[in-house]
Amino acid sequence: MYHNVVEMIGEFEYLILTAATRLGDKAYGASIRNEIQKSVGRACSIGALYTTLDRLESKGFVKTWMGQPTSERGGRSKRLVSVTANGMQAASDFFNVVVRVSKGVSWATNRPTNR
Amino acid sequence: MGNEQTNKSITAICWRFVHYLSAALQQEEREAVLGDFAESGQNGSEALRDLLGLLARRQVTVWKDGRLWLTLASVVLPLGLLLSVISQTMVGEARVYTWMYANNWDWALTKSAGFWYVLGEVATQVAINSLMLACWSWSTGFLLGCLSTRLLPTTRVTFLLLIGIFQIANAPQRVIHLWMYLYGLPGLTSSIDTNAPVTGIAFYRVIFPYIVLCTLVALPAVWGARQGKVGSKVSPKLRPVLIIAATITILTMLPQIPGFGLLLGSSGRQWLWDNRHAMRMLLFLTCWPMLYLVATGFRRYRQNAASG
Repeated sequence: MYHNVVEMIGEFEYLILTAATRLGDKAYGASIRNEIQKSVGRACSIGALYTTLDRLESKGFVKTWMGQPTSERGGRSKRLVSVTANGMQAASDFFNVVVRVSKGVSWATNRPTNR
Repeated sequence: MGNEQTNKSITAICWRFVHYLSAALQQEEREAVLGDFAESGQNGSEALRDLLGLLARRQVTVWKDGRLWLTLASVVLPLGLLLSVISQTMVGEARVYTWMYANNWDWALTKSAGFWYVLGEVATQVAINSLMLACWSWSTGFLLGCLSTRLLPTTRVTFLLLIGIFQIANAPQRVIHLWMYLYGLPGLTSSIDTNAPVTGIAFYRVIFPYIVLCTLVALPAVWGARQGKVGSKVSPKLRPVLIIAATITILTMLPQIPGFGLLLGSSGRQWLWDNRHAMRMLLFLTCWPMLYLVATGFRRYRQNAASG
């Protein structure tokens, strides 16, 4: 039996969709980057972020638009990001696949509950 | 203390590079990226590394796009070569006249009416040829700007690199040699250089062609590309008109290529000869960039006047 996964997103795409969803209306380039760096503990390059955002936008998983310029950004605008319903579905599908595929493996079953 | 000063200088240089290189990004993306750098408080070298990474990724995406290869094969390469051929033909004439007047100047000649008559004719001819070459280059840039604004940074740089390479490799001369070989005409290699006193001077042989190439091909093409990028945002009805106008201007370049008549065959050459006056009139079309610039300048002036 096959599960109905229309299009499998990549790991980095999942990270962006998750970070953008968590940030809500405060999701834009720098904040998503910070969120990913904080949760993954690894540097996230602007190149990877913006090219992946473009890819997600072309797939219809996010919507982006330019915001108002702010003084903390040297009078420059933000590229704001909003996750679409399709994007949420794709992220949810990815998560379910990871959970399903991890069922019964040692690192999933022996996972410490509190870190 | 010294180290701190050095680090400050390096950071300042890196930021300068960041601002300069970020111009290769689309306007909105540039705005967002520079804002992100400012907000996250990155230092110059980190920002530069990040920006280079983004530019490299963008270039990979662009070079994977089939439209880029189509534009390079159908516009950039052939038109770059054509402009190089015409530029070199113009250089051949212009450097002889420049040498004649600049290197052999004699005040006594200025008393002769004939001297002024010939100087006037030569100056007019060189000015018209220069203007036409600049207009063809501008139209080529305009066409590139109109066709795809997203690919423009890459097509523009490739165009400039190509005309430089054509000049270094003496491609226009090689094309003419190939042309003559294909049509069974005697080669030029054995012929005597009738302009040896001119080409013997390093300035006329090496530097002069690059001056012409930069001022009459590269600069107008870059300017035209910028105008084309703006022109591509006009109403969808006007855009095809602009593209057609630029294309017609570029087509008027073809009869100027040495040996073009050979391609047409005898009947084509006869037709060209019979319609030579009409063909000469066609060259007036070359001046459309000037009309376009005047029209857009006038429109901007009126908009500014209306907005107070």
